[in-house]
Amino acid sequence: MNKKMMRVILEIIRYTVIVFGAFWMVLPFFWLFSASLMTPQELMSDIPKWLPEKPQWNNYLQVLKRVPIFTYYKNSLVVAGSVTFLVLFTSSMAGYAFAKLRFCGRRILFNFVLSTMMFPVFIFLIPVYYLMKLFGWLNSYLALIVPFAVSGYGIFLMRQFVMTIPDELLDCARLDGAKEFKIYSVIILPLLKPALATLAILTFIGQWNSFLWPLIVTSTAQRFMTLPVGISRLSLAFSTAETQHLIITALVYQVVPMVIMFLYLQRYYVKGFVLSGFSNL
Amino acid sequence: MRKSSIIFFVAILSLLSVAGLAKSKLIFAVHWSDYQVEGVKDENGNVKVKGLRQYVEEYQKLNPDIEIEIQSVPFDEYLKRILISHTSGVIADIYVLYSLWGVQLVDSGILDQVPKDIIEKIKSDFVRAAIDGATIDKAVWGVPVEVDNYALVYNKKLLQEAGFNQPPKTWEELVQMAPKLTKRNPDGTIAQYGFAFLSGWDSAVVHPYLALLYSNGGRFFTDDFTECLLTSKEAVEALEAQLKLFKNGATDPAASVWNFPAGKIAMMIMAPWYETSLKLGLKDQYEQTVGVAPIPYLKKPATTGYTWFIAVDSASKNKKAAWDFIRWMTLQNAGGFTRMGELMAKNIGAIPPNKMDIGFFKTELDDLYTSVFVKELDNTYQEPNVAQGQEIKTILMREIIEAWNGRKTAEKALSDAKTKIDKILAEFYK
Amino acid sequence: MTNKKIFSRHRSFERNMGAGYLFLAPALIFYSLFFVYPVLFSFTVSTKRWNMLIPLSRARNVGFSEYAYLLKDEMFLGVFKNTLLYAIITVSFTIIIALVLAVLINNAKFSVLWRFIYFAPVVTPQVAIGTIWGYLYRPSNGLLNSILGLFGFKPVYWLTDPNIALFSIMATAVWAGTGGSMLIITAGLKNIPQDYYDAARIDGAGPFKQFLHITVPLLSPTLLFLTATGFIGAWQVFDLPFTMGRNAPAKSVMTVSWYVYETAFQSLRMGRASAGAFLLFCVIFAFTLFILWIFKRGGIKGYE
Repeated sequence: MNKKMMRVILEIIRYTVIVFGAFWMVLPFFWLFSASLMTPQELMSDIPKWLPEKPQWNNYLQVLKRVPIFTYYKNSLVVAGSVTFLVLFTSSMAGYAFAKLRFCGRRILFNFVLSTMMFPVFIFLIPVYYLMKLFGWLNSYLALIVPFAVSGYGIFLMRQFVMTIPDELLDCARLDGAKEFKIYSVIILPLLKPALATLAILTFIGQWNSFLWPLIVTSTAQRFMTLPVGISRLSLAFSTAETQHLIITALVYQVVPMVIMFLYLQRYYVKGFVLSGFSNL
Repeated sequence: MRKSSIIFFVAILSLLSVAGLAKSKLIFAVHWSDYQVEGVKDENGNVKVKGLRQYVEEYQKLNPDIEIEIQSVPFDEYLKRILISHTSGVIADIYVLYSLWGVQLVDSGILDQVPKDIIEKIKSDFVRAAIDGATIDKAVWGVPVEVDNYALVYNKKLLQEAGFNQPPKTWEELVQMAPKLTKRNPDGTIAQYGFAFLSGWDSAVVHPYLALLYSNGGRFFTDDFTECLLTSKEAVEALEAQLKLFKNGATDPAASVWNFPAGKIAMMIMAPWYETSLKLGLKDQYEQTVGVAPIPYLKKPATTGYTWFIAVDSASKNKKAAWDFIRWMTLQNAGGFTRMGELMAKNIGAIPPNKMDIGFFKTELDDLYTSVFVKELDNTYQEPNVAQGQEIKTILMREIIEAWNGRKTAEKALSDAKTKIDKILAEFYK
Repeated sequence: MTNKKIFSRHRSFERNMGAGYLFLAPALIFYSLFFVYPVLFSFTVSTKRWNMLIPLSRARNVGFSEYAYLLKDEMFLGVFKNTLLYAIITVSFTIIIALVLAVLINNAKFSVLWRFIYFAPVVTPQVAIGTIWGYLYRPSNGLLNSILGLFGFKPVYWLTDPNIALFSIMATAVWAGTGGSMLIITAGLKNIPQDYYDAARIDGAGPFKQFLHITVPLLSPTLLFLTATGFIGAWQVFDLPFTMGRNAPAKSVMTVSWYVYETAFQSLRMGRASAGAFLLFCVIFAFTLFILWIFKRGGIKGYE
């Protein structure tokens, strides 16, 4: 009896904590959506507003009128999609090599890959810009895509996943005379699917939201601008109130597709990490 | 079918590129926002107020061999983008530049010398504050396009409620008035600021302080920039004058520029470009609420100013074409006014530095808000064009904020600032 | 070790030698272009006085004086302290909260919904998060203070009070990061065999005991992963303090990346900024080794 009471109490505590946390998680998003429908006056009013008096759906139209948001969507999609594809390709190959193949300098190279994550992004701005100029890639998709084609984090993650695949499986294939590339494409890749999904989501999110680099390499050509860069054009020289509220509306345009995508892919994401075998590193 | 269309495309492309080769291309970098570049449009997309794009198109029509590409980068990212692309030799031909950045650009040989006829025109046609802004090491390096200064913006209603019919004329009056205009919540926080000091960007902190410094007869640097004069009696008094308002409870360092439209600030010091925000925030209450007056002075009327000027990159391949465009845009009489003046007055809402434009755009500049700033141009001291200007400004801002927060006395904050600034000056001036 | 084993190992070594490099080729080519070259370049810059406007070849050589300057600069040491505080607090709070939530939500009703809600900030750009929270934190007309007001609390100057601002930013960072860590921990939880818990229950262990003696130890590789990557990210934090901390005295909120950024693009001292970036790298590197060492002493192997 006592034990049962205890369990009920624990359950109550459990759901209280979950719901309380969820409230704080949702609040800023609720506010974002609500604010996206406010007039500039409501946004700045001295009494905090939870809801607009009359939803200004026109804000959404205003954003569409001011910036070619569908062009930005297309560019963001092309860039984030291509980077994701390249990262999956390069990470899974390198991850396989580090996990299952033996060669001179493997350890050193792997530690090198890990250490690349620790260099501040700042170091790369000027030299990579110079390379883009050298290759003639400025103001093209290439400048947005190629510098992100390899990810240290991705390689590391893939290596951890591949290590969980039993050696026997690969040895059998080798005995059958399969070449390494065949093993990679026929055995490893299919087994990696959930892991690839996880990495894909992470990479895609990162690229979709990336701001500084796209801004630096695309500012002459609107037709290559990505969503965050395009949205920043809404802000004034000294951000006066005029378009301040539209920036909030534009953020909804940027956030919603990601939320929907994640809603759809969530189960793959968790599954990927489940299979990563972090518990048997 | 497919083959023929490919040939067709190739033909079109090569035609285009031949046509492209014949044109000189100018890249024009600005920090303006979308509507300032593209123009203000109505619901149907018709241009109501011209933006830079419309002027450029007009010029291209007149000069079919010139193509001008506008690069607009948000202000926060503007200098960074110029710098990064410059390191790789990717340049714009024409820049709109903030006066404070000028020294580095000039010292590094980035800016092209201004043709003589343009210099003469600037010296005869422009207001003094703006000429000072475009002057670096005694030479003019570009055509001023925008001049900004500061004034006291006050809430008429709140002043009347407290029984004041006039804004303060001297700083001493302001210090007396402000506590009576301050209201506190039961918990002790400020509900209504008698006077608000703004922060959040360096100019908001430094420019109003410099105004008081000049008003007190002080100076920021010696003429040869070998020494910073922030420990002078005038400089310390100017900061102490600010601190009086923190001590008598009229203010705290948490005010935000948005509090004014909400009716929670009685007085603050602001620039001309804030007008649009006020109009939007206050709507039909605007005229009854907003009042503008010169900054209350310590010893003599004074305010701080800064300038944006238009300049040509010395590495540009089309310098002549660039200056021709600048002549047409900023100097040529287009019917009693210049085109840049029209863009500034009508679209951007800033004060054009050309005397002819100030005379022409009476309706835009003579309203209750801007007119005071225009009149104050005579009392405007240009923020000094010193090497490492931005770095120095940031140092001063941080020390002033320390003093506002009561973590340093005025004297200590300013002498700390001086020590750091003098070290920088020693690197660049001998 | 038997002869046979040595033999077979040797054979597979031979076989894989070329293949290994072949598989690494795309990454290696990439790194030599987009990593090795930039690092060498920036290192050269860090020994020069360069304002990015003159050609680098004309920049004056100053050796390691910028490094020496930074190590003596009160501001730089201050921002290092801020960043260290930021990293330790955000990483530990994020992981602890994520761990508790993951355990609570695992097998809870509507777990998919909860995970989705908690993960939402991860898909939101940092700058957007900074903007949203900037509004919520407004002292007089922000939602947060109005909620506190309902309970009779005094308004807090979240982002302007020098003693509070950095902590407000950390709270936002924890808010934004919890969901991602929670999902990864959830995955780790699913790898713990149910039998362990069954056995513990038979032995009479309550939920807390189970949590401390089964869940936490078995999750430790996951926790190591989160700690190591969390710190690497937190040391480099830029967006949140930069968007939210502008109204606070800089000394109290500025981080190393922000300092480096400002030194480069406002003070135009690219050499000093690069030196700062390399010092930051050294600290991250040493710190990561330190964390691996701590976990190793606790019996958790690193990534070798």
